[in-house]
Amino acid sequence: MKKKQKSKMGWLWENMKGYRVLYVTAILGTVVYNVMQLTVPFVTQNLIDLFLTGDEAAANLINRRTLFYQLIAAMVLLTLLRTLIVYLTCMGVEHVSQKALYRIRTYLFDKIERQDMKFYSTFRTGDLMTRLTGDLDAVRHMIAWVLRTITESLALMGATAVYFFYMDWRLALCLFAISPFIFLIIIHFKNKVAPRHKALREKLAQMNTAAQENISGNRVVKAFAREDHEIERFDQCNTEYSQTNRRTAMTWLTYYPYVESFANLMPVVLLAVGGIFIINSQITMGEYVAFSGLIWAIANPMRQLGNIMNEFQRFSAAADKVMEIYYSEPEIVDKPDAVDRPERFEGKVEFKNVSFQYADGNLPVLHNVSFSVQPGETVAIMGETGCGKTSLIQLIPRFYEPTEGEVLVDGINVHDMKLTQLRKNIGLATQDVLLYSDTIDGNIAYGDTHIKPEEVVKFARYSAASDFIARMPEGYDTIVGERGVGLSGGQKQRISLARALAVKPAILILDDTTSAVDMETEKQIQHSLKELDFPCTKIIIAQRISTTKSADKILVLQDGHITESGTHEELVAKKGYYYSLVKLQTGDGEE
Amino acid sequence: MARRNTYREDEVLETPFDFHHLLRASVYIKKYLNKMILAFALSAVGGITALFGPMLTQHALDKAIPDKDTRMLFMLVGLLIFTFLISVIFTTIRSRIMVNVSQSIIYDIRKDLFAHLQKLPFQYYDDRPHGKILIRVVNYVNSVSDMLSNGLINVVLEILNLIFIVIFMFCVDVKLSLVVLAGVPVLMAFLFWIKKRQRRAWQQVSNKNSNLNAYLQENIVGAKITQIFAREKENSETFALLSDRCRGAWMQAVKYSNLVWPGIDNISVWVRAAIFIFGLIVFGQGNTSLGVIFAISSYASRFWQPIMNLGNIFNNFINNIAYLERIFETLDEPVIVDDAEDAVEMPLIKGEVTFEHVTFGYEAEKTVLKDLSFTVKPGESVALVGPTGAGKSTIVNLISRFYNVNGGRVLIDGQDISKVTLHSLRSQMGIMLQDSFIFSGTIEDNIRYGKLDASLDEIVKASETVCADEFVRKFRDGYQTEVKERGSLLSQGQKQLISFARTLLSDPSILVLDEATSSIDVQTERALQQGLNAMLQGRTSFIIAHRLSTIKNCDKIMYVDQGGIMECGTHDELMAKKGYYYHLYTAQMEDIA
Repeated sequence: MKKKQKSKMGWLWENMKGYRVLYVTAILGTVVYNVMQLTVPFVTQNLIDLFLTGDEAAANLINRRTLFYQLIAAMVLLTLLRTLIVYLTCMGVEHVSQKALYRIRTYLFDKIERQDMKFYSTFRTGDLMTRLTGDLDAVRHMIAWVLRTITESLALMGATAVYFFYMDWRLALCLFAISPFIFLIIIHFKNKVAPRHKALREKLAQMNTAAQENISGNRVVKAFAREDHEIERFDQCNTEYSQTNRRTAMTWLTYYPYVESFANLMPVVLLAVGGIFIINSQITMGEYVAFSGLIWAIANPMRQLGNIMNEFQRFSAAADKVMEIYYSEPEIVDKPDAVDRPERFEGKVEFKNVSFQYADGNLPVLHNVSFSVQPGETVAIMGETGCGKTSLIQLIPRFYEPTEGEVLVDGINVHDMKLTQLRKNIGLATQDVLLYSDTIDGNIAYGDTHIKPEEVVKFARYSAASDFIARMPEGYDTIVGERGVGLSGGQKQRISLARALAVKPAILILDDTTSAVDMETEKQIQHSLKELDFPCTKIIIAQRISTTKSADKILVLQDGHITESGTHEELVAKKGYYYSLVKLQTGDGEE
Repeated sequence: MARRNTYREDEVLETPFDFHHLLRASVYIKKYLNKMILAFALSAVGGITALFGPMLTQHALDKAIPDKDTRMLFMLVGLLIFTFLISVIFTTIRSRIMVNVSQSIIYDIRKDLFAHLQKLPFQYYDDRPHGKILIRVVNYVNSVSDMLSNGLINVVLEILNLIFIVIFMFCVDVKLSLVVLAGVPVLMAFLFWIKKRQRRAWQQVSNKNSNLNAYLQENIVGAKITQIFAREKENSETFALLSDRCRGAWMQAVKYSNLVWPGIDNISVWVRAAIFIFGLIVFGQGNTSLGVIFAISSYASRFWQPIMNLGNIFNNFINNIAYLERIFETLDEPVIVDDAEDAVEMPLIKGEVTFEHVTFGYEAEKTVLKDLSFTVKPGESVALVGPTGAGKSTIVNLISRFYNVNGGRVLIDGQDISKVTLHSLRSQMGIMLQDSFIFSGTIEDNIRYGKLDASLDEIVKASETVCADEFVRKFRDGYQTEVKERGSLLSQGQKQLISFARTLLSDPSILVLDEATSSIDVQTERALQQGLNAMLQGRTSFIIAHRLSTIKNCDKIMYVDQGGIMECGTHDELMAKKGYYYHLYTAQMEDIA
């Protein structure tokens, strides 16, 4: 999978694979169209010379009427042909650019989805979204417009240059003497504008991030009546983006007058030098007219060059950001010789002297943790806020790698397993419940889209969600908003539990999944967890004694160490931390 | 309620929109009208100056060169340089002005849009994927600025240009001018045909991109869930499908857009052909002088240049109106919960909360609360218990007026809260929600959100009170630790403690804790309780909690179910009553014992 980072143009070319022939053809079409643009005026000129301004115009009109109509027909048909080529060329280029956009975008999405947690803590949502939308659009524009325009300009200039030099090389040389100045200005401009475009992409990402976070956090904003503060904060991003945009445009406008003046100088030089050449009889009036009729074909592309350079730099800045994701590789990937275990796991989990620390964190989270869970057993993990419970369970599906020791599932180090196979066997309901804006049915069936509706109902029942879902007017077809808004915390947790159960995992991990569920409901859930119709090892993080009481084993985690381990009775007898928790929860006086 | 929108459905556009709605955008243009007029004037002068160029060249060719008058030639060349320099200078100034105008317009629209979004109710955010809101604020606004600034100026310029050319043309020859103008209806018919299709097509582009953005945002946020369920392949397929729809919509749209220019080009050639045929043959030789035909023919080609330019602008308009209408749609989104016209400032809250026959439902046909009445005295702590989904959160949401009641009144200190300004009401309340949202930034920033001008001392003190100080100090950077997006660095319990500190810092008169401690372990909650007790002192508080041990000491416990209060009293009273609460409590204790 690993790809060597290519140059920007090489990268573009690679993503045009399959459409390269079409693209080159379309670009050649551009050349044809431009050459036609140079020749069509000759027909019109003929028409005018023969039938309008020529000495024998009146006579010609009577005697050579067929030619008259032929020329008119040629004029109409050539234009039709020319515009047809333009249209086909445009559509061809659009087609290729859209296909390339599609390819890069889906590739990036897939890439993002397979990244590890380190990646997600580096790149923020709004930033990633900007890369897949705005930045990618600049890449599309490069294929659809910039490259085509460059070719068009070069073709036009090239063809005209050849023609000019063929007619009179001295006059042509005088005209082209101006072009190095334009090139110099444009190169200077490029150096100035490149950092501007880089800054602009950055500011756009920042603004997107600010808006994204505000929208996600809209409830907190309202709860604190901080609308004004948010508006101010966003205003800063808005202003900076707007300022950077202005500065970028102004950079171009600083160079524009020079480029434009030099381009305008071309017809002037033609008049001055050409005039003298005529006076000195070095060229004829006819030759002069030919030069002057085509001078735009040199001057306009020269004008366009600045604009093209500007767009090119925009592409370059955007491509940097897109390619950063395109070529990024997660650290947690399948080993080349990963064990292939397509069958259902038994569900044995073992931690052997596991220590763990976050890459960007400064204190170790887990110290030398060892324990094992047999298939079908239930283990409860308890401990204070921030003691490392969540970190511990995240090592099982290999979201992170332990810094020391090993995590084994069915006796195999998770490091040696295929990620998909490992994770397919794990059902995890996280603390921070995240539902999708989809139907309840779609949310529960998230892990297994082929699940039958009656099974969805069954798992909803297991997680004590079927009652409240049934009470909703649209039942399982109710669309829950993003992150499940509109549902209470307890309802969200129950749907998330049903979702984890619906994959019939060999290992079920519940990270404080019932914290917002009332006791009555929780009892129900505990009951159904015992009666699951598939074999399942359960690892449950919980605060409530009622949840942990019936576990086969209870682990108490304190500051990353396992300090107590045993059954409810054993730990109560031990009169340690767990015992103090029991005392606390049953009320002070031990009623 | 309209069905919630997802990435699967296009958003229905409720209001029809057309060119005349552009008028509405004039609000944004008006502010910069002077600058735009100046830019327009500069363009006009620049344009007229440029017209001298051909005249000077003509003179040189007709006079200076045949006469071999080198001095005159150089004088004319000098003049030519002078005219183009003026033209370049004017164009540059115009462009500079317009860059500022167009950037200001983008800035203004975006600012208004964002400010309006801040006023929109929860419902708005609940009913659609956030990616669809985001794309409007960021991407759509960027698209429309050029249309509203340079687009408008160019339209005026080109139309003026056109009018002048038509006048000149008529002065030369009426009949042939009519031939030229005969092309216009053909052009109109063509544009009309295109417009209908093009507009729909661009709307589709905006819809499909919006869907894609929605899916993208949800999947970036939910990447972890994707990985847990090993759904990468399916999701990539869905995303590929959505991308392909975007592609399809785009191709459909450019299919029409790219026709405009070639279409006009062809029509212009037909007209030139017609001039030749009519001028030379139909109207007959002799009747039309050659000079006239030559002039008309040259005017005709000049006549089509502005039309082609207008065609391009037209294209751009059609394309961008699909975005503009979405922007206005958002700006038109009604602010349901808003300050009443005669709203007054809520005076300093003492803390008496009264519900008078309150009826409420999130959806019209489904009532959550039915004729609910109760009064809480200042300083009382009230616990709301009951099954999930019974309406506990709803009650506290109504106190902060996150929703308007459907019937009855909610009063604070005897003042109907629908009659006071939202800001004065909510800034006196401390609300801790179930989902403790943490912003990206430092821990300090997050706590300071409760009181923007708080000193570091105050922040530390608040953290100490809620037992957050200890774990914060364990981080290398302490309060300066960056918590990343949605506080991903922190555990759920830590997030709750930080959001607790944030609420405490805001020093509210009424405190609402909605499952605020559910993810905090019992030990920490225990320690927190002391701080909390101090915090509850002298404030009215509403507490929703499932762990009954945490609410036993509340002044009043309300058992909420079936849209009403089934029981109300102190812990002891309710225990003695042996009703719902008694059952709930004993069940909990049984489980534990």
